[in-house]
Amino acid sequence: MALESQTDVSTLTATQQSVRAQRHVLLTLSRVWAWVFLIALIVFFSLSVSITSEGDVNFLTLRNSQNILIAITPVLLMGLGQTFVIIAGGIDLSVGWVMGLSSVISALLARDLVARGIDPTPAIFLAFAGGIAASGMVGLINGLIIARLKVPPFIVTLGVSFIVRGVALLFSGGQTVAGLPTQLRDFGNESLLYWVGGGANQLHFLRRPEVTGEQLRALDRILGWPVVITAIVVAIAIFLLHKTQFGRHTYAIGGNKEAALRAGVPVDRHTILLYVMSAVTAGIAGLLHSARFSGGSPTAGDPLLLGSIAAVVIGGVSLFGGVGQISGTVIGALIIAVLQTGLVMLGVEAFWQFIVVGSVVILAVLIDQSRDLIIGRAES
Amino acid sequence: MSKRFLLLTLVGLLVLSIAPMLAVAQDDDTITIGFLPGVVDPFYQVMEIGVRQAVEDSALPVELVVQIPENFNPSVQTPILDALVARGDLDYLIIAATDKEQLIAPLQAAHDAGIEIISVDTFIGDGDYVNGPVTFPLSYIGSDNVEGGRIAAEALAENVGGTGKVYIQNVTPGISTTDQRAQGFREGIAEFPDMEVVSEDFNNDDENTSVQQTSATLERESDLVGIFGTNVFSANGAGIAVQNAGLSDAVDVIAFDATTFAVEQLRAGVVSLVIAQKPFDMGYLAVQFAIAHNQGVSSLPKRVPTGYAVIDIENVDDPEVARFIYQVE
Amino acid sequence: MEPVLSLRNILKRFGGLTAVKHVNLDIFPGEVVGLVGDNGAGKSTLIKCVSGVYHPDEGEIQFMGQTMAFSKPIDARRVGIETIYQDLALAPNLNISANIFMGREAKRRYFGGLIKTLDEEKMLSESRRVIDSLDIRLPNFGAQIDKLSGGQRQAVAIARAVYWNARLMIMDEPTNNLGVPEQRKVLDLIRKLRESGVPVILISHTLPDVFAVTDRIVVMHRGHKVAEKQTAQTDSQTVVEYMVGARSDVRAD
Ligand SMILES: Nc1ncnc2c1ncn2[C@@H]1O[C@H](COP(=O)(O)OP(=O)(O)OP(=O)(O)O)[C@@H](O)[C@H]1O
Ligand SMILES: [Mg+2]
Repeated sequence: MALESQTDVSTLTATQQSVRAQRHVLLTLSRVWAWVFLIALIVFFSLSVSITSEGDVNFLTLRNSQNILIAITPVLLMGLGQTFVIIAGGIDLSVGWVMGLSSVISALLARDLVARGIDPTPAIFLAFAGGIAASGMVGLINGLIIARLKVPPFIVTLGVSFIVRGVALLFSGGQTVAGLPTQLRDFGNESLLYWVGGGANQLHFLRRPEVTGEQLRALDRILGWPVVITAIVVAIAIFLLHKTQFGRHTYAIGGNKEAALRAGVPVDRHTILLYVMSAVTAGIAGLLHSARFSGGSPTAGDPLLLGSIAAVVIGGVSLFGGVGQISGTVIGALIIAVLQTGLVMLGVEAFWQFIVVGSVVILAVLIDQSRDLIIGRAES
Repeated sequence: MSKRFLLLTLVGLLVLSIAPMLAVAQDDDTITIGFLPGVVDPFYQVMEIGVRQAVEDSALPVELVVQIPENFNPSVQTPILDALVARGDLDYLIIAATDKEQLIAPLQAAHDAGIEIISVDTFIGDGDYVNGPVTFPLSYIGSDNVEGGRIAAEALAENVGGTGKVYIQNVTPGISTTDQRAQGFREGIAEFPDMEVVSEDFNNDDENTSVQQTSATLERESDLVGIFGTNVFSANGAGIAVQNAGLSDAVDVIAFDATTFAVEQLRAGVVSLVIAQKPFDMGYLAVQFAIAHNQGVSSLPKRVPTGYAVIDIENVDDPEVARFIYQVE
Repeated sequence: MEPVLSLRNILKRFGGLTAVKHVNLDIFPGEVVGLVGDNGAGKSTLIKCVSGVYHPDEGEIQFMGQTMAFSKPIDARRVGIETIYQDLALAPNLNISANIFMGREAKRRYFGGLIKTLDEEKMLSESRRVIDSLDIRLPNFGAQIDKLSGGQRQAVAIARAVYWNARLMIMDEPTNNLGVPEQRKVLDLIRKLRESGVPVILISHTLPDVFAVTDRIVVMHRGHKVAEKQTAQTDSQTVVEYMVGARSDVRAD
């Protein structure tokens, strides 16, 4: 009898231990699930692209990595400000057209200032300042109406987005603003580092090497200026959200606005600042658009709005507020871009691409939600 | 708050219901022409210039009413159309219908109200106003987008010597003009046995997406020779991807529509060919048709294809070609 | 002895409804005063006037001998009036120290104050200190508030008030939704506050609790203050009669 019960106890402990170990693995996995998902996607595309092309095409190349990084810049910039706004329990639907407005204003300024005889470099700086200022104004209007008049952000930013759209179209006359200085084009398309591959294998810093013909094809731009700018904004956003009082207040307002107010958090002022910030990051995206495509386009950001919100949500920011991280938004944007690039490289037909991207967005959010369940269960 | 809103609405409705009566009071000799393009963009702006020029050139008194929808969308265009009809003073309506099916009924109603319809740029029904399902409009004046795609294919094939793989950067599935351009392009390429369309992607009218998709395609198809962008943004994004891959010498990019921006990108070497429609001609002809019809001309053609011009870096400064650039100022 | 808080003729209306009618009340150092009354009697409204959530329409608030006009809750907190609300006022998504320091975060300065970061270590150690000083036991110190029990949350709210040198503590039904052991813990905390000389206004529907910790009991009925008794000189039967309106000293003051 005694012996039997002893065996019982030891088996029980063994199962308990294995259950505990399983939980531990699940818990760790669920904390880094977005990374896991991203890496899984990359592995999947690396294998499938190379298999379907019989080794001719590689997914994991320097050039492709740079293509993906460039591709996420506008979505990510819009998503960064949005992350703050959503964590604080709001939403900003105006960022798409704010990006367009900023693109148009900066392009008009750059063109007209250079035409007035101002040197291109200071003209571009002034143009950028103008684009940012215009965006900031829109954010200020959003913030003032939301904070002072207590109108729901969904309504305010939707309404404001219509107005901004009208303004952007008016300023541009409904067409792409052309005739920008070539320095702007260079800023949008050149990079911090250059790698000349194809046997030469040289790394150049800041200055593009003079190459022609075949070597031109072997020239890779590493960390294009838009990527560098975006990386700086990401770093600032991480610092602000996770290291400063500003970030702490953002979470507090999203968690319990009333409590934050009673605790002395300047909720109204903070809310206004959040919408200004959101508009400004979208504005930066607009500047970079003008530079990359050497044209100020009022419609530049409109198609990107939903993608940017998707990136934020995939990254684990709760639309109910209070929860989320900048790194999540970065990974969210990367997941979408890797998916889109991978599907094109696989040669998947366009209509299927829509279906796959949509499904993955839903899947990602579902996994994120069940993550809370897993953590809850594992901790109890 | 809601009471005041109600009051405002009522006053607004009252004004709206009286307005047409006021407008009707006009003398009978004037020909009143409405112009309702698809959306604010350089193409329609040039068309409007053509319309206004024809009105100016007219020996007869013509009154012009212009309304421009904010979106290229039938649900935005239809209410504007209804409001134009409700004025009660229009004799002719020059319209670029934003949907070939959804605009039939409202235009039929306009026609029943005594307004003659002239289609420009886009058509309703199947565009065959003689034997097709829709015959009430006077005429369809516009470039055939399928034809435009075919011309793009031929121009590209000529540039690359009739062999190689090509790729299509399209906007959004379901837009009839760009879909027809892509279709015409495929038909055109099919004429060349050594050429092949490898794939077609949709960029949602976003240049950034166009760059991303084109870059990925260039990685996959290392021997691509040409890309057809079904509008300016598509081509611009594709061109920037080609340039940054160092493939400008190897890959030709064709843009559809000769906006000043497209031409600028042509000069910068981002795109290699620009297919120009003739919106000025469309607008000008449409007004002339209206006036002719008013004067009793009964044999107006039901279909007028306005054709295309192909612009490249060699002929872009030739005034004969340059006049097809959509110059708004 | 000078009263810490002195309310003179406080009246507060919400549209046509007068929630608090001409209430006078003095609170002296080191005493615990129970504020009782039926639902809707005006207790919460009265104390919200003191804590800066509402402005009284009439009357005067004096705190430490000074006339006060608070425009927001933080104004009241700045002079030392800390309130533990019925609905707690903690951010469920933040951890304990972030809540204790909410709105008054400790910061580290760099480049002569140009850049300021959160001083997490300081906030954590200070939170630990105040929580230990109150003999509160919290199992997982880094836990988010929504992972804590009701009593633990209450304790965090009280610790926050204590940390910020409350000179008057107002508690609106602090034992609501708590299990019996946790209720007892909160009562212990109230006694601790009294020992340290901080006066407490306790709003509660649980009369045994009120009798257990208070020195004085004030009863409200339909916006009026209808009674004010030394706890030792009354009993719950009498208090209940005042609460339901069967007795009233309203003309007495
Ligand atoms: N913000 C407000 N707007 C309008 N009326 C209010 C408001 N707050 C309270 N009231 C009303 O004022 C009266 C007093 O409410 P109060 O919350 O002060 O009561 P209470 O004594 O705290 O009740 P309870 O014991 O239920 O918490 C009630 O009739 C209530 O409905
Ligand atoms: Mg209450």
